[in-house]
Amino acid sequence: MSELRETVESAARAHRRRWPWAAGAAVLLLLIAGIGLAVDRGGVSGDASAAAGEPVRGGTLEFALIDFQRSPDPQWGTNYAESLIGNNITDKLTWQDPETGEITPWLAKSWEYNDDLTEFTFHLRDDVTFSDGTPFDAAVVKANLDQYVRGDKALDINPNGAVLLPGYIETRTPDEYTAVVRFEKPLASFLQASSFTANAQPGFLSLSTLKLSAAERTDPTKVIGTGPFVYESWEEQVKTVLVKRKGYNWAPPAIGHTGEAYLDRIVFNTIPEASVRTGSLASGTIDATLDVGTTDEKPLTAQGFTIIHRGVSGTAIFFNLNSQLFPTNDIAVRKAIQLGWDRAAIEKTVLTDSYSVARSVLADSVRGYVDYSGSVLRYDPEAAGKLLDEAGWRPGPGGIRVKDGRSLVVKLIGINNLVVNKPAYESIQQDLKKIGIDLQLTVVPIPDYAALQAKAKTDANITAANRSRNDPAVLNLQYSPLLGNGAYLTKDSTGVDVEEVTRVLGQLELTLDPAERDAYAKAAQDILLDKYALVNPVYNPSQVIAHAGYVHGIIFDAQSRNHFVDTWKSNGK
Amino acid sequence: MLRYVALKVGRALFVVWAAFTLTFVLLFVLPANPVDLLFDPAEINAVPPEVRERVAENYGFNEPVLLQYLDRLGHALTGDFGNSVQSGRPVTAAILDVLPSTLILAAGALVLALVIAFVIALVATSTRHDWVRNLVEALPSTSVSVPVFLSGILILQIFSFQLGWFPAFGDEGWRSLVLPLVTLAIPVSGPIAQLLVRSFAKEFHSGYVTTSWAKGATRGAIVIGDVFRNASLPALTIAGVTFGNLIAGSVITETVFARKGIGRMTQTAINTLDLPLVQGIVVLVAASFALINLVVDLTYPVLDPRLRATLAAPTAKAASGGAR
Repeated sequence: MSELRETVESAARAHRRRWPWAAGAAVLLLLIAGIGLAVDRGGVSGDASAAAGEPVRGGTLEFALIDFQRSPDPQWGTNYAESLIGNNITDKLTWQDPETGEITPWLAKSWEYNDDLTEFTFHLRDDVTFSDGTPFDAAVVKANLDQYVRGDKALDINPNGAVLLPGYIETRTPDEYTAVVRFEKPLASFLQASSFTANAQPGFLSLSTLKLSAAERTDPTKVIGTGPFVYESWEEQVKTVLVKRKGYNWAPPAIGHTGEAYLDRIVFNTIPEASVRTGSLASGTIDATLDVGTTDEKPLTAQGFTIIHRGVSGTAIFFNLNSQLFPTNDIAVRKAIQLGWDRAAIEKTVLTDSYSVARSVLADSVRGYVDYSGSVLRYDPEAAGKLLDEAGWRPGPGGIRVKDGRSLVVKLIGINNLVVNKPAYESIQQDLKKIGIDLQLTVVPIPDYAALQAKAKTDANITAANRSRNDPAVLNLQYSPLLGNGAYLTKDSTGVDVEEVTRVLGQLELTLDPAERDAYAKAAQDILLDKYALVNPVYNPSQVIAHAGYVHGIIFDAQSRNHFVDTWKSNGK
Repeated sequence: MLRYVALKVGRALFVVWAAFTLTFVLLFVLPANPVDLLFDPAEINAVPPEVRERVAENYGFNEPVLLQYLDRLGHALTGDFGNSVQSGRPVTAAILDVLPSTLILAAGALVLALVIAFVIALVATSTRHDWVRNLVEALPSTSVSVPVFLSGILILQIFSFQLGWFPAFGDEGWRSLVLPLVTLAIPVSGPIAQLLVRSFAKEFHSGYVTTSWAKGATRGAIVIGDVFRNASLPALTIAGVTFGNLIAGSVITETVFARKGIGRMTQTAINTLDLPLVQGIVVLVAASFALINLVVDLTYPVLDPRLRATLAAPTAKAASGGAR
């Protein structure tokens, strides 16, 4: 290990001192190659390094990230470590192509659904087994989904999947390898949900695992999946170690990997401190790290490390505008907020190339995304000011506008879990001040945010967050007055036809026809962004990994989670 | 004597109970709902009420508050703090799992801190050069003033990333313990050193030292032979403070060095409002505090004959004369 570190260090030093231009050119080349590959092969990047060639088997990948897995149970997680590890020890029914958003086969060879989209029939592969040797079949699918949605009080298992699969009735098993999943109401987004790889994911566990209580599932060796890796150990707060599953041969066909994983082991090291993650990468103790800070990207690239990233698919980081609370109950104010801040400034001062300014409420990687940067989501302070003038907002003391004796104070609650959030919001705050809007920020850790959110309906004009789900129906989940109701619509929301919003968003769940769905997605974005201006999207968050040049094939999936089945190290160590 | 012991033990028990009750009240007064924290924050609005209820039911959060309190207290008396909301693990097991790491870290750091403190005090007392004394006496306040995370990161940069002598994170083998120990020992040594410097100086000018001088003892012999023993005792009185510093420092040290431990566990538990876990940890820490103070209170009379005399005085006045 120390030999390796010295090699890496001296190589970096030599480049810097003797041929600064050569290092620069190499970085540029790498970048171009990286971008080319990313465009070419979607999430599968990392092959960009010069020494690519044939994959090498064996070796241990030392991986670092901020979070730790609180429980080895993959169906129960709400942080990145949990979903990431879950993805490597379990498989899903389907695989969503990160580039096109298309749902492709995985554990299910094929599927069909009824016209109502209330019944989905999956034809399962018959050669899949769990790591304890038991077969994966329709009965397993049924047992998993039943417990996933309903929980099990006797075992202390929460209904983890209830939010993902609303209205789940049952799973029927007409034969050993056919599973029919039934819902009360049409649920077009279920097809995408069957591939879901983010928080609280529907990864399949063996029947023996499902019988265990939450406490018993903290013994990682008893948590059995069908994935390319199996648990070796789990140490709360410190690390999770996975080893290669012998005989694995059912990676999603779309990623083009056959057979077992290349790596022998993966160690997920939890390192909370940013400088320790980057320092450990630079010194060669770890091979790759997630959670790379925006300010670390450049120095790491300069030291010869490869940066790979993928925008989080789902909504952008949004400012949801409370449509029933003064002053955001005034559509002129909502529209002025959309127009009143300088996108270019945030792009230049806050974001790196791994991030992008939002051009819609949907991230551009979600199918159905429409670009609004030329219309409602442009920087036009004059138009914003005019809108406010027309609505009767007159300049008041301290430059803040006033109407009927009340100032234009807009209160925001947000989460500080992403480093970019606060500076981005502050930049918007400064711009809005120039047009007479006083944006007051309360950007806090998640628990405080959760507490504030409970009272947001009456206390906050803006809730700032994002939701990770690579399906346009995320808009229905987030904004439908019947579901998330992000803009707090009620019958009293001035000038908003609530039923129209419910209907327009709801139709996203009614069809899986691509063309129809694209049209519905556009209608949904139109109504949210343009017609009623219920949301001001800010920027698209990104997951950023820095890795050594000898690491290849780290996959970012459609939810920007990582899969390591195709990952290998040129040195095979 | 018996009354003294009973009083001190009673006080210790009260402290533990009060800590248990106070955490319970605090966590219930906090506006956030622990159930909400089990979901993705962006999803909270979309969680159907019946799902929320079922989750609350799983943890007993739907019961009346008083009932929850009595139930938890009853179980706590038998050493059962329930299961962690976040991981589902029994709290006792979760704590026992990380406790050894923290104990080793804290014990090691304490020993190191004592060594540092005594060296400072000895040097300050025995040196004949004023500038050396001034320099050494400035060290304790410096060590307290530097934030642990800063010294931790500096130490890491030098000894791990640059020199590569020690691993930067994890807790495997003694080498991974060295840097955290040093990091934690620095701030802990400060108050002890300050106290020792003062008491060494005081003792150094007391009457028995003059006697030793008169008898022809050397400076070194006096410092080691006479002053050291008598001046060390006060360090024991701030054992409680020292313990507090160790716990507070361990939160940051464990985070910077990515070690498992009580400190980091506390931080996560509070962040996620993991009520059972927070209570388990608080009771553990309060019990340790109480125990340490109790031990100090009880050993003090053993170490200091004068105190023993005062204690014995009210109960056995007649014997007090013979005790010496």
